[in-house]
Amino acid sequence: MKNRLKVLRAERDWSQQDLANHLGVSRQTINAIETEKYDPSLPLAMKIGKLFGQCVEKIFTLEE
Amino acid sequence: MLTAILHRRRKAAREAAEAAKLAGKSAGEIAEATHRVYGVRLLIAGLLWVSVFLIARGLLAMDVGSSWVRAGIALVPVPFFVWYLMTWTKGVAQMDELERRIELEALGFAFPAALVLLMTLGLLDVAITLNPDDFSVRHIWAMLPLLYYVGLWRAKARYQ
Repeated sequence: MKNRLKVLRAERDWSQQDLANHLGVSRQTINAIETEKYDPSLPLAMKIGKLFGQCVEKIFTLEE
Repeated sequence: MLTAILHRRRKAAREAAEAAKLAGKSAGEIAEATHRVYGVRLLIAGLLWVSVFLIARGLLAMDVGSSWVRAGIALVPVPFFVWYLMTWTKGVAQMDELERRIELEALGFAFPAALVLLMTLGLLDVAITLNPDDFSVRHIWAMLPLLYYVGLWRAKARYQ
């Protein structure tokens, strides 16, 4: 699954640790999502969407 | 004495979490603080369990007491291990979803690896009769946590 997490984070000038602190997860989790090694659960994806004020489909897209 | 120490630590952790909330700390910072508290608790529980095991092992090696006393000594480390296990379980409950997945993958590696190890040693024992001083259950069990740590290392490396 592709995502725009790194772009959205960069727009706010947040570090991975900053984003991790906002979401209540570890920095490793943020890194794994950004590098597309790990797909977040639906609750975490929705939390990310809420944090950035966008719907989940605009942040995460399924690869064909 | 140890219970009192742990009680104080637990109270301190609760107070720290409350203070962090009041100080406007984020969920991530609170989670990190909780992780540290569980890390220390796990280390204490682990060290205590291993120490009690080594003491029991030493006493049994000295061949003291009747067989009932010796059986009792052999069972002494069990509650300490249960305490370690409960601490570990509580620690897992504090982890985020990726950390839990890493734990699961580590166990997913360790269990079949332990199965292969025991199966192979069993077959080798039939084939060439392994020396019980090197390959009895009292030695092999210590290899099982090692397999878990190998699994943990593999899973962590995968998500880095």
